[in-house]
Amino acid sequence: MSTPPTENSMRFAETELVRKKQLSERIAQFAFLMMTLAMVLPLLLIVTYLIYKAMPALSLGFLFDLPSRGMRAGGIWPALLGTIYLVVVSLVIAAPIGVLAAVYLNEYAQDNWFTRIINLAVINLAGVPSIVHALFGLGAFVLFAGIGRSVLAASLTLAVMTLPVIIASTKEALSAVPMSFREACWNMGVSRWKTIRGVVLPNSISGILTGIILQVSRAAGETAPIMFTGAVFYKAVQKGDVFAYGLLDQCMALAMHLFTISTQVPGVDEAIPFATAVVLLGTVLLVNAAAIIMRIILRTRKKW
Amino acid sequence: MVDLPAKIRVEGLGVSYGDKIALKDLSLQIPANQIFGIIGPAQSGKTTFLKAVNRTIDFVSNATVKGRVLMDNQSVLDASSFTPVKKLSNNGMRDLCGYRRRIGMVAPLPVGLPMTIYDNVTFAPRQAGIRKKDELDTLVERCLTQAALWDEVKDRLDTLGTKLSGGQQQRLTIARALSHEPEVLCLDEFSIAIDPVTTMRIEDVLKELKAEMTIILVTNLVQQARRLAKRTAFILNGELVEEDTTKKIFSGNASDSRTNEFVSGIFG
Ligand SMILES: Nc1ncnc2c1ncn2[C@@H]1O[C@H](COP(=O)(O)OP(=O)(O)OP(=O)(O)O)[C@@H](O)[C@H]1O
Ligand SMILES: [Mg+2]
Repeated sequence: MSTPPTENSMRFAETELVRKKQLSERIAQFAFLMMTLAMVLPLLLIVTYLIYKAMPALSLGFLFDLPSRGMRAGGIWPALLGTIYLVVVSLVIAAPIGVLAAVYLNEYAQDNWFTRIINLAVINLAGVPSIVHALFGLGAFVLFAGIGRSVLAASLTLAVMTLPVIIASTKEALSAVPMSFREACWNMGVSRWKTIRGVVLPNSISGILTGIILQVSRAAGETAPIMFTGAVFYKAVQKGDVFAYGLLDQCMALAMHLFTISTQVPGVDEAIPFATAVVLLGTVLLVNAAAIIMRIILRTRKKW
Repeated sequence: MVDLPAKIRVEGLGVSYGDKIALKDLSLQIPANQIFGIIGPAQSGKTTFLKAVNRTIDFVSNATVKGRVLMDNQSVLDASSFTPVKKLSNNGMRDLCGYRRRIGMVAPLPVGLPMTIYDNVTFAPRQAGIRKKDELDTLVERCLTQAALWDEVKDRLDTLGTKLSGGQQQRLTIARALSHEPEVLCLDEFSIAIDPVTTMRIEDVLKELKAEMTIILVTNLVQQARRLAKRTAFILNGELVEEDTTKKIFSGNASDSRTNEFVSGIFG
């Protein structure tokens, strides 16, 4: 004989209300999952399409060869190298300045009109279109400072473009460190600077680096700022030569090269622009992957 | 009263944040080697008082300070009129950090720094220049023992300070405050985030520590001051209402009627 449900088991049975709630919970989850897929799907499609179209041209030789037949065939070495130069030099300039500026603004500066103007300027500069930076770079570095169109001038322009964003993201990372940590250190007679070095920076470094590295993709992908300040359509260098450019030389760059061969040069082998795009994308993804790995490594050190 | 030499003497101390006056013309003496209680309702300026004493008020950019604070008859804060903290002088001290290390401070909420327990305790000493491993090792054991935490953590000194329970983190904070061998230990409502048992353990620790140092105990649990302090000051809205032996303050016939009302729980 089966026992009738006891009062206790009745009490924990699902009521109509609970079942309804569970249903709407499931529907919401499903909707969010779909949204996520809707974001990922186009990316996957783009990448697949690019690689499919680029397949015939992609090879190791493509990376290290010079363009040939008036850029209608051959590789992309000068452009790839140029992009690497531009990104590295601009970061070497922008990252230290940006991080130090953010440390000053977040840790030392008092809240007065001067600091407020600087903060406002940083935020607004971050939103200035890159073509405006390009014109500034042309005026300030190429013409006024007399550097001429060169790797250095283009990198400086990229640095000016990325600097505000680096400052903003670094400030964000610094202010995520709880104030109580700083106060605890000050109470122990640890100076402001030693507190920053010993507690604040180690606990914000992953955020700081992420902010910096995300700017790599921006610097690598922009055409406008380098077009007027140092990038050229074509420049002959030694095949596979890593030191092909000097700081005051003009250079090629991937984004610009892609623009050139897809709009300015008739009769380019169809696969080549796609392959160039894949290399550009790959470079950026590689750097982002490095950022993610670095983050994971530093995350395991994050301690609260 | 017995004429113990005052460890800390405060004369006409005033602090304001912007237009808001937090402390008004406060004068009192804190005798050496005993527990000095400071009671008062919320917002009365107790934390502000401690910040002025250990000169971390200097980090509050909108604060202005007036008056004098002396430790061992040496002036450590001196301003004849309200002065922005930026403009406060160091009173001949080489750096304020050295002065701050003479005072240990325990904040209301436990703060485990995001580093190992060992590093938590050795952070300040290492910044101050102690590098020898064995010296640091004995220091860690001494401070954690004094803070009644050693037995619980001695086998896992390399776990993160932030992973300890709230009560343990508060004792870690005390160990850290002791790590730079302070002459004065300030506790700011140290028990608001911890359980009664841990509170009692820390109170026992304080009773032992007072032999070695002067203790300023800020609390809004008036009974805690009653249990521990020899003398007690009552601060209300930034003003010192009165300061006397704890016995007198809690006797029900203190000089000021507001004190009697506060300690008997009528307001605050
Ligand atoms: N940085 C600041 N800027 C402006 N006002 C402040 C600042 N710090 C404290 N105050 C104000 O000063 C007054 C005294 O604050 P304080 O923290 O010293 O009080 P308290 O007695 O410690 O209070 P509690 O018991 O709540 O901790 C309060 O009115 C507070 O709002
Ligand atoms: Mg307080």
